[in-house]
Amino acid sequence: MSEIAFFGAVEIGLVYALVALGVYLSFRVLDFPDLTVDGSFPLGAAVCATLLVAGVNPWLASLAAALAGAVAGLVTATLNVRFKILHLLASILTMIALFSVNLRVMGRPNVALLMQDTVLTPFYGLGLPDHMVRPLVVAVVVVAVVLLLARFLGSEFGLAMRATGVNARMARAQGVETDFHIYTGMALSNGLCALAGALFAQTNGFADVTTGIGTIVVGLAAVIVGETVLPARTMLWALVGCVVGSILYRLAVQLALSADVIGLQASDLNLVTAVLVAVALILPRVRLKAGRKTEAAR
Amino acid sequence: MITVNGIHVTFGRGTPLEKHALRGVDLTIPEGQFVTVIGSNGAGKSTFLGALAGDVIAESGSIAIDGTDVTRWATPKRASLVARVFQDPMVGSCTALTIEENMALAAARGRKRGLGFALSGDRRRHFRDRIAELGLGLENRLHDRMGLLSGGQRQAVSLLMATLAGSKILLLDEHTAALDPGTAEFVLGLTRRIVQENRLTTLMVTHSMRQALDYGDRTVMLHEGRIVLDVSGEQRAGLDVPHLLALFARQRGGEEIADDSLLIG
Repeated sequence: MSEIAFFGAVEIGLVYALVALGVYLSFRVLDFPDLTVDGSFPLGAAVCATLLVAGVNPWLASLAAALAGAVAGLVTATLNVRFKILHLLASILTMIALFSVNLRVMGRPNVALLMQDTVLTPFYGLGLPDHMVRPLVVAVVVVAVVLLLARFLGSEFGLAMRATGVNARMARAQGVETDFHIYTGMALSNGLCALAGALFAQTNGFADVTTGIGTIVVGLAAVIVGETVLPARTMLWALVGCVVGSILYRLAVQLALSADVIGLQASDLNLVTAVLVAVALILPRVRLKAGRKTEAAR
Repeated sequence: MITVNGIHVTFGRGTPLEKHALRGVDLTIPEGQFVTVIGSNGAGKSTFLGALAGDVIAESGSIAIDGTDVTRWATPKRASLVARVFQDPMVGSCTALTIEENMALAAARGRKRGLGFALSGDRRRHFRDRIAELGLGLENRLHDRMGLLSGGQRQAVSLLMATLAGSKILLLDEHTAALDPGTAEFVLGLTRRIVQENRLTTLMVTHSMRQALDYGDRTVMLHEGRIVLDVSGEQRAGLDVPHLLALFARQRGGEEIADDSLLIG
């Protein structure tokens, strides 16, 4: 793997670390399997790119993208909480709808950001090569998000949100307005995914409606890899695990793609990801079964 | 004080499985009274407790707690007035959270939850002192996940959690039914102590007639969604399990009690 390929993998891993953190919030904290992510990631990219082309400040454009994602999360949460649609189905409905919304936002399937100022522009030409500047800037954003999120989940409000996901009945008996916490958590989760989309558009120089496909699986893969390599005892470490998992996952993919022996192409990425997630989900069960068998044999 | 006026609850209205679970329950419990509730399976005990807690909203009648009409309040809102311990220790606590996190959750019951730290040094010390009162040695295990505790330990912690936020009413839904007899005895003793120390108005649902008479100051029997027996004071002090059964049979017009579970204990 070349140096540029390595930093490229780290960069994309850091961008998707935000997705992993969002997925951690919905899947793990709230126990809400949310596929909205596949729509909110390109939504963030679309909103950010469109605003950048219109000459809006890059940081403001990124913030607007995150807010748009939060609204998408609220739509899914409303369908589920208010109208009792199964969470998985509610999120698929929003995801499908967002495909059209994203096309509307951009007015065409993709927007190029070749000449636009991005959040990265001020940091180019400070002495470091561009392929190092990008992961560094994204890393600063990711570290800030991890610290804020850890602080949030350690608060009374955050603790109530975690209780909502673990045991909603008990949480309500303790006076937690579980519905409100689902709304907040889903908004936060999809806001993070849209922010990731905004950063993706700015680091790659384009926004495209199709970039969302499989985002949820990639995010989930990062969460699972993180949990495997960094079994966490505290909230902060669990979040760090998501980031580490996301980077490791990208490096593994890069390694697999650059090893000509295996004969994989870039287009095989989604298949490889799906297989990886499936294996990661199956392995613990197989290990458990094997453990029981050896016990029985004794 | 709890005032319940003619509440009715029907499940699955208009379906073949329609069940009229509560058919006009009236009950006034003065402040500080400890009431035990008995009845056979399907008598409406749990539904009654659920109606008081807000899990089940009564379709007619009214419920007032300390003079406030709470008939239409949902569970989270009622939680500011009502503390609960569930039958299943898994339901009453967050197994994936630590003991201290569970306690922090309960300590904020009835309060607005802000962005301040859920667990500060002061609070940890407070929780440590409180959990030491149980005498189970849990004060050194505050960082352990709740799921690692035994059923009895978890019910003991749940009882303690019910007192952290200082509510007036404690609802116990067969909270010793899932425990072995020795542990149940310990948890019941703890219940008595906590109720007395905090002067809580308490409703304890139980399957055991023995427990119903041994604990508390008043016993109420539910049958087919109605209160069929209500004894306290000297009348209750003179009662034994066979008497209680006879009284129950007379109330039902001589109908035999078919449910063995009523006779246990």
